[in-house]
Amino acid sequence: MSVALNRRQLLRGFAGVGGALAAVSTSAAASEEHPAHPVAPADAIAMLFDNTICTGCRACMPACNEANGLPADSLMSGGIWDMPSDLNSKTKNIIKVYEEPNEPGYAFVKRQCMHCLDPACVSGCPFDALKKNEWGAVTWTGSLCIGCRYCEVACPFDVPKFEWDHWNPKVVKCEFCFDQRLTKGQEPACTAVCPTGAVIFGKRNDLLAKAKNRIDEAPGKYFEQRVYGEHEAGGTQVLYLSNVSFEKIGLPKLASTSLAHYATKVTSVMYKWLTGPILMAGVFGFAIRHNWNRHEAERPDREKKTGFPDQL
Amino acid sequence: MRSPSSQSRDTVGTTLINHWQRGVPVSHERVFTPTLIFFAVLAIIGLTLSFIRFVSPLGPFSGMNDAYAWGIWKTFNVMTLTALGSGPLALGIAAWVFNRQKLHVVMRAALVSGFLFYSTGLIALGFDVGRPWNFYSAIMPWRWNYESAMLEISICMPLYCALFLSFEILPLILERFYYTGNDRTKAMLVRVSPYLRRMYPFMIIGAYVIPLMHQSSLGGLLLLAGTKINPLWQSPCMPLLYLLAAGLCGIGFVTFLLLITCLRYSRALDVGVLIELSNLLSCACLLFLAVRFVDLAWRHQLQTAFSFNKMSFLFFLETSLIAIPAIVLRFKSARETPRTLLKMATLACLGGTLYRFIPTTIAFDPARKASYFPSLPEVLISLGYISLGIVGFGLAVKFFAVLPGDNHDWNHVFRPIGHIALPLKWLRRPSRTSVKEIPAKSKGETPSLVSR
Repeated sequence: MSVALNRRQLLRGFAGVGGALAAVSTSAAASEEHPAHPVAPADAIAMLFDNTICTGCRACMPACNEANGLPADSLMSGGIWDMPSDLNSKTKNIIKVYEEPNEPGYAFVKRQCMHCLDPACVSGCPFDALKKNEWGAVTWTGSLCIGCRYCEVACPFDVPKFEWDHWNPKVVKCEFCFDQRLTKGQEPACTAVCPTGAVIFGKRNDLLAKAKNRIDEAPGKYFEQRVYGEHEAGGTQVLYLSNVSFEKIGLPKLASTSLAHYATKVTSVMYKWLTGPILMAGVFGFAIRHNWNRHEAERPDREKKTGFPDQL
Repeated sequence: MRSPSSQSRDTVGTTLINHWQRGVPVSHERVFTPTLIFFAVLAIIGLTLSFIRFVSPLGPFSGMNDAYAWGIWKTFNVMTLTALGSGPLALGIAAWVFNRQKLHVVMRAALVSGFLFYSTGLIALGFDVGRPWNFYSAIMPWRWNYESAMLEISICMPLYCALFLSFEILPLILERFYYTGNDRTKAMLVRVSPYLRRMYPFMIIGAYVIPLMHQSSLGGLLLLAGTKINPLWQSPCMPLLYLLAAGLCGIGFVTFLLLITCLRYSRALDVGVLIELSNLLSCACLLFLAVRFVDLAWRHQLQTAFSFNKMSFLFFLETSLIAIPAIVLRFKSARETPRTLLKMATLACLGGTLYRFIPTTIAFDPARKASYFPSLPEVLISLGYISLGIVGFGLAVKFFAVLPGDNHDWNHVFRPIGHIALPLKWLRRPSRTSVKEIPAKSKGETPSLVSR
């Protein structure tokens, strides 16, 4: 009886494996979920920051704090005004300055979430607390977050910040003012308030064309004649133009392959419809059943020989 | 004859004396030795601090920061130590899938140690995450992000520990109830036993497939960190290498554990089983090294390995710790010498755990300048969980038939559970438990209860 049951279950297992294999082979032709070089959808929004225009007035910082209800980070200023040293759990947006050693001149950079086309944080987040929303804004949902901080490990731009000093910690990052402004038809607080137009808001395709246009109009003005964020980590929805090296203003040198593609290219095949585990279970089950039946058949002999019941 | 370092060869014939025939509880030792009390104190300190951590923010408590967002609770207690707890996986596959029947007798020690590594790791994980109350999403599949390695780990690890490992150690708990219980208990267990045996082969399939998934996913976690991890470690092969490291650590740790516990409790060794274990260990090490070097060559990183900087030094340390047992245990004389085997198993465990730990912290170079060193409470909590595991194992070998021993060493009498309260014996009247319940079976050994 038990053997028959085993065999039937085994057959069912093999049928499952066959079905899964067929499913994989048919879906292989379908579009990849994480292509190495993702293409921005037509409605993808973006920000373009041009540090040759930014005057470092930092008007975007209080505007961001106000829109997102963030407190002033006044630790460095002795409790007087907002003076964050970097992006942190009270700061979603910051203007930083880079000064060339032994040379006059300086360059500003605005840092916030890059809203990658294929974000590593979203791909790693276990319960979809971080997700890519409409128009490509990456937002965080507190009720789904378990606080594992995998997003901080995964983000190549060092953006998500964790409230280390809070018993109910949030993950704080720029969300493109999605709930605060985008869904109400307004542009993000930082681009809305920028007096010089150093950071502007628009469709990604338009802004990319605009940025390339600026490079063409002023050859030699911009570093490497290219737009940072066009290809970095598979492409981001925040684009940068800079007159100094991107690395100097704190934008990391990254390959053009999306990290989510790199991390899931093998596992997505192995775990597709749980093919790998089911196949493994089928192979193991076959061998285990064989060995188990032999073990059980030999059990009475063994028990008689030792005089003790068999131990599992 | 009974000393662990003495030869276990049959002096007459060429056959080896088979000393490990079944699980036998340690019945001639006090329950609370000074060592056990020391670890129990460490465990209590760690657990107390954990509960303080539960009501306190993570920040002031630990050395973690936004650049090094994962501290030793995750990187050491979970990602590193569960490799040592992979004995049930590695030896179980060898025993049940590849039919290495000699290994059945050491499965209990592997299972109990693996269960303790996993459960203490999971406690560590529970206190490490910032918003543990949201973890109920784990039972709501529509909330799952199926492509996240973190999801795989946070679901499969508790499932494996709570269901599959617990099922596998159930026989050794029920066995105790059978021999100590009354007639009704016995009758009930006799009725239940065939059902357990029928489920067993199906449960062990899950018990091998699921850890294969999450042990490789622990390496898969680090793939998303991308260029933050030194190219000597960052590789698409990391999931496979993490799995192979778990295999070699699991085999190595069970060997190590059996040798030191048999030494401690004066059990005879079984050279046949030890040769089997050392052979497996050496093969696992060789397989790991082969994959490691092929991977480095494939990614053109061999010259990085030989650049003789800090990272290349770490690479050589880790690789040689695994290479030495791999080579030494190929020699028959080394396999048959328990002292050498103990050293080699220790080296393999160190090498495997180093491989698992280095990319999470030492070879992890975040985008901005930052440093991480665990704070004192962090270290104490981490040590507390390890001590909890040691205390658990120390109690398990005395109350359950975990350690392998001779058939004739034991007449199926278990130490009464009341012995756990023995440290309090000077506070109360003499125990009513009969001394005769634990007879001195082995030659020359005085039952400790008589002596006290």
